[in-house]
Amino acid sequence: MRIEKIILTNYRQFRQVEVTFPRKPDTDLHFVIGTNGTGKTNILNAINWCLYGDEPHLSKDSQRLPLMNLKTIDKTGIGKDGDVSVEVWAEAEQGAHITFKRQALFRKNDDGQMMHQGTKFEVMTNDERGNTNIVTDEDASAWVERFVPMRIREFFFFDGERLDNYFKEATGQNIRHAVFQVSQIDLLENCVERKLQDTLDDLTKEAGKANPKIEEARTKLEQVQGRLDEIRKRVEECERQIEIARNKVAEYGEKLKGVPDIESLEKEKQQLEADFRETKGLLREKKDEKESLLLESGNILMLWPAIRMATQLIEDKRRKREIPPPVDKGFLEGVLRNETCSVCGRSLDDSSSKRVQELLREVELSSETAHRLIQMENPLSQFRDRVEEFEERIRSITGEIVKLDKVLTGISLRKNQIDSQMAGYDEERIREWYHERMKFEEIRDKNQQQLGGLQVMRRDVEDDFDEAQKELDSELRKEKKAKGLTKKVAFCARALGVVKSTREAMMKETREGIERETRKQFSKLVWKKATFGDVQIKPDYSISLIHSMGYECLGSVSAGERELLALSFTLALHQASGFDSPILIDTPVARISDVNRENVAKVLCEVSTTKQTVLLFTPDEYSKEISGFMDGRASGRYSLKLSRDETEAKVEVL
Amino acid sequence: MPRLPDRLDVDKADRELYDHDTISKEILPGRTRKEQFLFAMAVGFRNQVKRPLDAREGFFLAKDMRPEDEALIDTVAIHDTGSVDVLFDRVAVFRIAEEYAHAGIRLLYDDVTSGQPGSFFKKLELELFSLVEALDSE
Repeated sequence: MRIEKIILTNYRQFRQVEVTFPRKPDTDLHFVIGTNGTGKTNILNAINWCLYGDEPHLSKDSQRLPLMNLKTIDKTGIGKDGDVSVEVWAEAEQGAHITFKRQALFRKNDDGQMMHQGTKFEVMTNDERGNTNIVTDEDASAWVERFVPMRIREFFFFDGERLDNYFKEATGQNIRHAVFQVSQIDLLENCVERKLQDTLDDLTKEAGKANPKIEEARTKLEQVQGRLDEIRKRVEECERQIEIARNKVAEYGEKLKGVPDIESLEKEKQQLEADFRETKGLLREKKDEKESLLLESGNILMLWPAIRMATQLIEDKRRKREIPPPVDKGFLEGVLRNETCSVCGRSLDDSSSKRVQELLREVELSSETAHRLIQMENPLSQFRDRVEEFEERIRSITGEIVKLDKVLTGISLRKNQIDSQMAGYDEERIREWYHERMKFEEIRDKNQQQLGGLQVMRRDVEDDFDEAQKELDSELRKEKKAKGLTKKVAFCARALGVVKSTREAMMKETREGIERETRKQFSKLVWKKATFGDVQIKPDYSISLIHSMGYECLGSVSAGERELLALSFTLALHQASGFDSPILIDTPVARISDVNRENVAKVLCEVSTTKQTVLLFTPDEYSKEISGFMDGRASGRYSLKLSRDETEAKVEVL
Repeated sequence: MPRLPDRLDVDKADRELYDHDTISKEILPGRTRKEQFLFAMAVGFRNQVKRPLDAREGFFLAKDMRPEDEALIDTVAIHDTGSVDVLFDRVAVFRIAEEYAHAGIRLLYDDVTSGQPGSFFKKLELELFSLVEALDSE
């Protein structure tokens, strides 16, 4: 099936636009080129809205605007009706035509608002004899399911940006889900497996009516099953969270590869600054101590000749026994006061009195001087000690100062190293990356812990389930009336087992097919062919990109290479799905480097030989690597242009 | 007996030198008047220059001196007069100290204001080491 044309009426930027997609005999390749805001992505939305009733790729700007074209709203009178419609004309096998049309009806109220009156969806089919058949509701939806089933539309109509994100979150579960959807195993599960399970439940319930013990065992089994389902869901969610967190940790790890740990460096720098301040303080203290010592010792050393002289004079006086003075001053004063000699008791005559007075004057002088000299002895001795210690103390303090200076130099050097390590990096962004990585590491660890507990619980409940199952089987065997039912129950259980193993085998086969095709496509797409050794989709559905040196490298490849892998995988899914529906990609090569763009162009051209391919490019994307290769092969090329008042977009054929 | 002076004086003009930023904040930061005076006296003595004071002004009280401070000015007086008898005359002892300080503070000021910043203590250290060396060789 392919899209012949789309007709947009009053849909967002498009008042009345018809885009036809005629095919060439050898290719079915079409481009729509438009700058951002001209409505390129809204073509993707229009197809989704027509077929499925939603607009999954709506931009924030478009979300604020009404569905109906602004110019149309303006021209619609109060109380008048207007409508929005999108038609997708598809061409099926053997010339049959299918037209999907969704129409939303509006009425303008007194406030000028377009009030939604209802939506109609219909499908018109033309058979080879020219008969037209119109269907609505479920029948119309059934036609959509035949064209591109809603559950797998994301692999047919998608945004190129999505490709890059595809392998970032819960890869294993995404791939399992995709394989499950495209291989249509869900039909087996929904139709056969569920039916068998319902039949099995009905039969057991019927048996329970005949015997209360059977009913009791059945109810117990049902309860255990409920618990088991609940735990399994929690385990699955836990595993999903772990996988998301692991991929995020790897993604941030990749971003931070070779990038300095800004936070640690900043912490170290802060510590260094604190150390620097502290050491600087210690150095100041030591320098002050040295300066004080120099000043105090300076006094003594500069006065040393005087100190030495005084010391020698005191020593002389000591030697001559002039210190302390030989006669006590108080004794002579007593003799004069009493006018009597205190030794012989004789009264003092004038000449004796004069002699004692002279003696007293001499002694008074000597006594005061001697007293001062004695007082000086101790300080002079201390000065000597300080002079002797001076050299050693100064050298010791100087040594400490040199050490502290070295410490400061070391700190400054390290600070400069850190500054140069941090120079040129967006510190805020790197800090945010580190925080994000730490956050996801915590999420991963927390879920891993939780998973451990849940796995133990699951084993216990699985044991309970086996026990309850045995109990029910035993009760059923005991009941003669339920003999026939028992056989039916056993048959259903066996059939269910066969269906389940068939489902797993089909899943395996599909997975292996997708793996082969992904490998093939990726090898065509990627420029560095020698770099990548293999692409594997493992039994747990996780995807591995193996480097030629043998190690896993999905986490470390560029965004463009990851996008190429996702495109390869999508093309492989297309093949596995069995649907030959068109592929429509918005911004297919936005993140892909020039060297890989040519390969993408080649592969998409090849795809277009068997499948209609519609690519929505921005002018930047439509580079010479793309246009040079694709222009000659394209069946149709269109350009989107926006009116001056930006309310209407037109499509021009290039 | 001669009167006991209660204070030591400086020349009025010297106060400006003692309060000069380089001396009060860089060379002798946080030092008391007595400490500033004794250092100036030591500088004057070291250079064997003393100058009579033109206009006296009290600088610090004698009672603030510890025995080791008094010992320093006493040794200067003994050295200057060549006799211990001078110790009895406190006026003379103080005058000798004041005259050395008067000359010393001017020398110090001239030295620190003409030299490189930070070089004072380096020079002082070298000078003191040379003095110690001279003592060792005695």
